[in-house]
Amino acid sequence: MEVFSDYQCPSCGSLYEQTLRPMINDYVASGKVYLVHRDFPLPMHAYGYEAARWVNAAARIGKFEEAEAALYDNQKAWSIDGSMEKYVAGAMNAADFKRVQKLMVGCGIEVKPPTGPDNPSGCPLDANIEADKQLGNQVPVKATPTFITSYKGQKYPAASGVISWPVMKQYFDSLLAQ
Amino acid sequence: MRNGSPGRILLVLGRIALAGILLFAAYAKLKPQVPGMHWSKASVKTSVAMFAMNVDSFQMLSTPRQVSLVAHLLPFCELGLGLWLLTGILLRFSSVIATLVFAGFFTLIVRTYLLGLEINCGCFGPGEKLGPRNLIVDGSLLALAIAVTVGAFLSRRKSRLEDAPAAAPATLGAD
Repeated sequence: MEVFSDYQCPSCGSLYEQTLRPMINDYVASGKVYLVHRDFPLPMHAYGYEAARWVNAAARIGKFEEAEAALYDNQKAWSIDGSMEKYVAGAMNAADFKRVQKLMVGCGIEVKPPTGPDNPSGCPLDANIEADKQLGNQVPVKATPTFITSYKGQKYPAASGVISWPVMKQYFDSLLAQ
Repeated sequence: MRNGSPGRILLVLGRIALAGILLFAAYAKLKPQVPGMHWSKASVKTSVAMFAMNVDSFQMLSTPRQVSLVAHLLPFCELGLGLWLLTGILLRFSSVIATLVFAGFFTLIVRTYLLGLEINCGCFGPGEKLGPRNLIVDGSLLALAIAVTVGAFLSRRKSRLEDAPAAAPATLGAD
């Protein structure tokens, strides 16, 4: 399952807490579901793109899950003023955070996201985010969270909104029973 | 209404249109959701599970059990109601039920739209984004259902009037 989401989107936060977390602990851990996060920061969220940069930087040193959890757990707090750095810092040890900070050089909030393939931002992390956005535009993703399931080579229609884990679990079970 | 009168023809057309819409809605929810996939018990189960996710995203029902119940029952209720309307039997009752169903859908769509929930409607299958178009479509369907209901009652009333025996002329000194 691919999930297109924005770290500053409240519905994405709800989906993460209510659904993705138990899914990761249950169906992802047991190998039933392979979960893929896709960045799709929305223009109306002032800090969504920056949050995606931080998580991408953390992912490069193998700390994706920790950073993702830290940002969703504290979404309300950092959404006010963009103070996500301290939450990412709190999710890993000092040495790892230093490595993340190094990767974030040239990717601060003052660096505007790219506006097109001919107008890159200069932040090396943006290439991954833009690639995810391109995939999302092909769906097309009109809102976050949007998720697409693929099973046995078949792609199922995209769905969006906050779905509870028991309902989504029934859906997975129906697919796995095929 | 006499057979063949414009009103009667419109009522029949309205009834068939309403039935067709309900049958299509049921089909869209139950059909295999992947092109080329064949109908099977498993594919229907998956389609119902996908519809359950649409229902859940409306955030109207409080437990997954309620969501599952609605998801399992609604497509088959649409199927049954569509077939009932198609027969034209007891049209007043079937049209009233159809009106209540569409009124419920319309209320739900309006509420969801006003709340700004970015979801898939699921009215005619998964992947149908909720937007102003849904409001117009569902509002029109509700109007059609109301029109068929009114037509059914008027038709019944006129039939009764046409079938009633003529009043016996008053006779003087009958006793």
